[in-house]
Amino acid sequence: MKPALALSYGFPDVAMAKLASHPDASGRITSRDVYALEHLDLDLDDFGALLISMHLDQRFLAGRAAQIESFLRQGGSVIANGHIAYPFLPGMTGVHPLENYGLRDLAVKRLVDHPIWAGVSENDLTFRRGVAGFYGRAWHHPPDGATVVHALGEPDRPLDFIYPVGKGRVLFHGGNDLWQYGAADSTGRILPQLLRWMFFGERAE
Amino acid sequence: MSLAILDGGTFFHHAAIQGARYRELFDLVIYMPELTPTALEGAKLLIVPDRVHPDLLRNHRQILIDFAQSGGTLVVFGENQAETWLPGVSWTARPTNFWWWLDKNAKPPHRQVAPDHELFQAVTFADTIWHFHGLLRPPPQAQTLIDVPPDAENDDTGGALLYDDRVTTAGRLIVSTLDPFYHHGSNFMPATTKFLDGFLPWARARAHSPGA
Repeated sequence: MKPALALSYGFPDVAMAKLASHPDASGRITSRDVYALEHLDLDLDDFGALLISMHLDQRFLAGRAAQIESFLRQGGSVIANGHIAYPFLPGMTGVHPLENYGLRDLAVKRLVDHPIWAGVSENDLTFRRGVAGFYGRAWHHPPDGATVVHALGEPDRPLDFIYPVGKGRVLFHGGNDLWQYGAADSTGRILPQLLRWMFFGERAE
Repeated sequence: MSLAILDGGTFFHHAAIQGARYRELFDLVIYMPELTPTALEGAKLLIVPDRVHPDLLRNHRQILIDFAQSGGTLVVFGENQAETWLPGVSWTARPTNFWWWLDKNAKPPHRQVAPDHELFQAVTFADTIWHFHGLLRPPPQAQTLIDVPPDAENDDTGGALLYDDRVTTAGRLIVSTLDPFYHHGSNFMPATTKFLDGFLPWARARAHSPGA
C-alpha cells in the first residue's frame, strides 16, 4: 500500500494532522509543501493518493495540471477540496457559489450511498452546532462519468462527486476540507471511511 | 499612486480580489510568487490579505519592508505569521472561539480603543466583530484601534486585533489578526463582506490621496 501525499500551505494544519495521525492512516500520509510539486516525481511508485486542501495556491496547481492528470491516468487517486478558481483537475470547471442562499439551499442531499459517508446523516453534514453552511456553499459541474454523492439544496447542484480519469479517480468535495469533519455526531465516521477508501480503493466499496 | 494587493492564488483570494464586487478598486494585483520591487512601482498602499503562504512572505520580506520604509502603507491581515517577517509585530495565540455569536446574550470582547481613527469613518466598529486568530502587542507609540481584554482562562494579558504603526518604519504598518478575505471569499461570513465594503474603498481613497 503506497503512502498518500498531502500538499501543505505553510501553516500548521490541525485537521490534516488529525487525519495523518489517525490509527487507520498507519503513518502513511506524508506532507510536502505545495511548491515542492514542481521538483517532485509524482509517481505511483511513491504515492497512491494526492490530498489537496482548500487552502492551496490553485494558480500554481493549474500550472501542474498535466502532472496531476498523468498521476491520475497511471492509477492514482486525487482527493481535492474547496472551490475551483483555476481549474487544475481534468474535466473540472469553475465554481458556482450560491447567491443569497437560505437554509433550504444549504441542505446536504444524498443522491447515492457511498462507503465514505456510510452511516453519516445528511442532517449532521448540513448542520454544525445548529449552523448550516460549513459543509458546502457552492456547487460545481461534475465531469462526464461522475457519480454525484451529495448535492446542495437541489439535486442539480453537485457538492461531492467521484469520477474516473484513466486508471485513477478524483474525489471532489466542493467545500471545507473533508478532514475537518469528525464531530461526536455521525460525521465522526468520515475520517476512517475516507482513509479506507483512500488506501484500499475499490475493495472498500 | 495606486492601491496594490497580493494574491496568494487560493480560491478565496481569487473570489475576493477578482470577484465583481471589489475588482475595480485594485490598481495592481500581484500574484504572491511573482512579487518583485518593480511590481510595486507606483503603489502607495499594499494589502497583504489574510492566509498567504507564510514561506513566500518570509522569502519576500525585504521587498515588503522596503515598501514601508520608502513611505508606503502596508496593511497586513491575519493568519500570515507576520511576527516572523514584519518588524515590530509581536503575536500570541489565543484559542479561537468561532461560536461566540450562538449565544444571543454573548457580548464579544472587542473594544474600540480609538473611535476617532480615520478608518472608523469608513468601517463601523460592528463590522469588525467576528472571531479572531490570536493577539498582537503593538510597538510602543503605535495606535491600537481595537483590542480585547485579558482572558483568565487562557492566562493572557489581552492584546490588539488591529493597530496602526507609524513609528517602526518611515511609512505606515496597519496590522490585524482579522481574516476577512478568507471568509468573504469563501462565501460564508456576511460581517467580513461588510468590513471589506468599508475597508477597501477607504484603502483606495488613501492610496489615491496626496497625503501620507
